[in-house]
Amino acid sequence: MMAPHETGVDADFRQRVVETMESVLKQLLERDEPVTEDMRLMDELNVNSLLALELLLRLEEQLQIQINVETMDPDKMETVADLATFITANHRAL
Amino acid sequence: MTALDAVSVYLPTARLSVESVAEQLELSEMQVKLFRRFHGLSDVRYDPELSLSDLLLRAAAGLTELAGQRHRVRYVLWGRAFPVVVPYPVNPLHEVCRTLGLDHALSFTVTQQSCASALLAIDLAGRLLAGDPEPDALALVLTGEKGFTRDARLLPGMSLFSEGASACLVSATGDRDRLLAYACSQRGEFDKAGSESTEAFLREYWPTLAEVIRRALEQAGMDLAEIALVLPHNVNVVTWQRVCLLLEFPAERVLLDNVARNGHVFCTDAFANYQTAREHGRLRPGDRYLVAAVGAGDGATFAAMIFEH
Repeated sequence: MMAPHETGVDADFRQRVVETMESVLKQLLERDEPVTEDMRLMDELNVNSLLALELLLRLEEQLQIQINVETMDPDKMETVADLATFITANHRAL
Repeated sequence: MTALDAVSVYLPTARLSVESVAEQLELSEMQVKLFRRFHGLSDVRYDPELSLSDLLLRAAAGLTELAGQRHRVRYVLWGRAFPVVVPYPVNPLHEVCRTLGLDHALSFTVTQQSCASALLAIDLAGRLLAGDPEPDALALVLTGEKGFTRDARLLPGMSLFSEGASACLVSATGDRDRLLAYACSQRGEFDKAGSESTEAFLREYWPTLAEVIRRALEQAGMDLAEIALVLPHNVNVVTWQRVCLLLEFPAERVLLDNVARNGHVFCTDAFANYQTAREHGRLRPGDRYLVAAVGAGDGATFAAMIFEH
């Protein structure tokens, strides 16, 4: 189990991931409406396989991190929240 | 039992970085970054000075085992991704057979399964030899391709292709690299000419590849854990990471070393990776290894073979 201060750091970082994802997705999808955590990436936002990789790359660049994609199961990344939680737990700072 | 008696590979020595071919292939800066970061593709190999026949002959030239055995070669098969590669009446296969002194052999091209055509050619060679009245008959299986057009060099968002060729001497009763199983799944609905979308093909890609691998294992009566090494097609790194997750197979046991330095060499990847595995001591006598290939575009096919080294 994580210590409370670690949880705090993770929660803060996760929030940053969510905010960055929302802004990147709006840009990638040329979307004016807000993107929220509960939205389904593929079914609702039409994020296809190729766009998903571009999203990851932009997140890496903007957050200055490297995501451990080798452990990512795309089938489990259903929503914006799922992906944000995965990235929070599976990245290293650059 | 079908066996690979000898393998030789030729790849153009010049390597071009993905950045240097970006303009030619109309790749955006983002596409270049994606190829490098996630697909693990950084270099491709082309040699505009070499014809198809040149590529095939250079691969065959490395097959020293052919010397003194030409008379035993009854079949020459060319496994190829593209159905049409030269204008009539040019015939690189016949040119190669003439140059190698193999006019007497029955020669033909195996295609329609895109980059999985090479595995089909090995299987067919084995079946022809098994039915041949001459017990020590041999087959020469060739692969080799040129990237003539942008379409031939690029699978958008997925892979970059390179030129190269291989030559493989196949026997029906050899005792090295014996073929234990071959499974193949043709998915006509994803053929380039078909109506299904690229996205649907990409969604089916990993599970279908995993399924065909499981089927080959079942045919060989083996568990995946018994596979010492996977020799993949070099489509990209991320695909194999995902297939490994799906199969719960360690990615370290997939030979991905050549993805960055060779790119995806159409039907030749399996043989180039076999050669690298041997050079790096990653195959020991008795090891069982799996070769997998997926043909996208013209002839959507997933194929897997299991060999014993």
